[in-house]
Amino acid sequence: MQLFIQSLLSGILIGGLYGIIAVGMTLNWGIMRVINLAHFSLTFLAAYITYQFSTVTGADPFLSLFITLPLFFVIGLVMQWFFETFQIEGFVSLLVTFGLFAIFESIMREIWTADLRTLPLDIVPYRVESFWIGPYALRKPQVGVFVAAIIVSAATWVFLNRTYIGKALRAISQDRVVAGAFGVNHRQLALLLGGMMGVYAAIAGAFIAVLFVLRPDGTVDFIGVIFAVVMLGGLGNTVGAFGAGVIIGVAQSLTSATIGPGFSPLVTFSLLILVLLFKPEGLFGRSATS
Amino acid sequence: MQVNNMKVKVFSLILVLLLLLSVMPAMAQEGDPIVVGGTLSLTGFLSPTATLHHVAGQAFVANLNENGGLLGRPVEWIVLDDESSADNAAALYERLITEDEVDLLMGPYGTGNITAAMNVAARYGMVFPHHTASLTYVYDYEYHFPAWHIGLNTHITTNNILYDALESTGTPPGTIAIVTNQFPGAMNLAFGNDVLEPGGAAHMAEERGWEVVLEVEFPSGTTDYGPIAAQVRDADPDFLWVGSLGADGVNLIEAMEALDYHPRGQFYLWPTPGPLLDLGEVAEGAFSVTLFEEHEPFLSNIGAIDMVELYHAAAEEAGLPPSSQIVDVQVAASWSAWQTLVAGVEGAGSLDQDEIGQWLLENGVDTVIGHLAFDPEQNNFSEDLTRIKQIQDGKWVVVWPAEFAAPDAVPIYSADAE
Repeated sequence: MQLFIQSLLSGILIGGLYGIIAVGMTLNWGIMRVINLAHFSLTFLAAYITYQFSTVTGADPFLSLFITLPLFFVIGLVMQWFFETFQIEGFVSLLVTFGLFAIFESIMREIWTADLRTLPLDIVPYRVESFWIGPYALRKPQVGVFVAAIIVSAATWVFLNRTYIGKALRAISQDRVVAGAFGVNHRQLALLLGGMMGVYAAIAGAFIAVLFVLRPDGTVDFIGVIFAVVMLGGLGNTVGAFGAGVIIGVAQSLTSATIGPGFSPLVTFSLLILVLLFKPEGLFGRSATS
Repeated sequence: MQVNNMKVKVFSLILVLLLLLSVMPAMAQEGDPIVVGGTLSLTGFLSPTATLHHVAGQAFVANLNENGGLLGRPVEWIVLDDESSADNAAALYERLITEDEVDLLMGPYGTGNITAAMNVAARYGMVFPHHTASLTYVYDYEYHFPAWHIGLNTHITTNNILYDALESTGTPPGTIAIVTNQFPGAMNLAFGNDVLEPGGAAHMAEERGWEVVLEVEFPSGTTDYGPIAAQVRDADPDFLWVGSLGADGVNLIEAMEALDYHPRGQFYLWPTPGPLLDLGEVAEGAFSVTLFEEHEPFLSNIGAIDMVELYHAAAEEAGLPPSSQIVDVQVAASWSAWQTLVAGVEGAGSLDQDEIGQWLLENGVDTVIGHLAFDPEQNNFSEDLTRIKQIQDGKWVVVWPAEFAAPDAVPIYSADAE
């Protein structure tokens, strides 16, 4: 029973990480119709910059957010400008962003080599520390990413549903022409959304730098599961992305503890297929954009 | 006067000879280069360790060319990126042989890639030295020459060497947990194979009367090691055997540490060595396998000191982190594979594949990891040269067998430890 509950908690927390990566993906896909594979490598680029910042300065990695948040806002904005200027969306966006994905990965390999990089424990001792609830351990950085995921997904949901700009963004996602007729400047709003994607990548990257050993192609460990989270959560639904992240995290973790880690991907993608068959709009629907 | 003339002549002759000697390597390298072709996983999940092989190979070839090349000709190494894919490796070796028409082959990194590329080399009868293949029982090609010299029955012998080290402490484990990546080579070491006699870490432990209390297999790309760590904690074995690659070991140790669980003893099969050292106190006492470490008696092996100096400089120049600038098993295996190729060509005195292959089979080769004998009856493996190393005071040191241990180093382990 202790193993079951410990694994359940571990799955819930790791679901937060999936959720925070998926929030950027789902907004890009749901609102701008851009299936942005580059979001993964952008996230890892942020992780590498976090790593570099901490190893050079010896400072806490999360202080790097003072650099990465504005930097990645600009990078995200420029990327979105590129998508808008060349009218890249849908299937074409998959191809184009795959190219960007490869470019970012090459940049990381050139700068940091393919060798493994990890933040020394004397800089981030809390990486292996836990909060304890009785006999159950909650790993501190995983708790951090879980809380961050709640804040990011909820704040984005409020932004999209309770603000004028958010409502305008949702209008764009439904019909750009009609939204434009009502005075919505879709280009400016798209750039803002691009910047937000960059900010989300920077936040997720900081946690990845703390939680994982970095390698330039580490993105591939996440692509499958994040796509599943986005589809399960419903395109454009940030709260859904968080919820789906937790569901998949728990499913993987319990499978790993009870049947075996080798079956985790099987369970994840079986779950996805079932949901797509019986609820193709995702478990949580496209509530943010529809 | 005649004496003076004689002195001038002798002096001039010496000068001319010195001049000739100084330019000999350059003169010797005149002519078309000998082209060695191969792939490495410059991208993909194998790239962290393949990078070490890339840097080592470049340093070896540069040094070879600075010292006269091969058969008096410069050597050019074509390295293609197989992207950590066995299919790609096979296709690229086909291209290297048929389109690029390389003179010689050097194997890729990683068991899967080597196995795939070896089939292509065999089809064309090319000599195939390689550094890190571990599925010993499937390699029946006569001209494959393994530098990872772990013996045909590595699933038995390597585990026995480790277990002997544990028993040498006088407090061997009574229970053991086996946790392994599903990578084929690691699975062979963990659970054996269906071709040779029974073996594997679990089986060999049971033969010694140790109880196997946990068996877990996990896929490459696992992102959450928490549930695995929780299973290990619940099983609480006297010894934890992990068939790890790359960063698996680091991830599992950190997950166990987060649960405040500290194994009494732990073994990691093929970790990228640097990150484990970077963990500091948490990884202290971890065991692993090696064929070479930067201390005696290994430094007395042929070319070892040169390798250490050249690799340190090359790794620093390549921008590798300090913990990866140390020569360990990966770099030494890479260097040995190159030494094998060079010895074969120089021994045969030609680029004829049969002549090179036969010379190596008959003579073996002295390398930085010791003498490699190639016994066709043993799929060109021979003695298992595996040594056991342990992190002691923040450094990897060989602790077993005793004759290869670093000065004053012995295995530190106790099943009774708290």
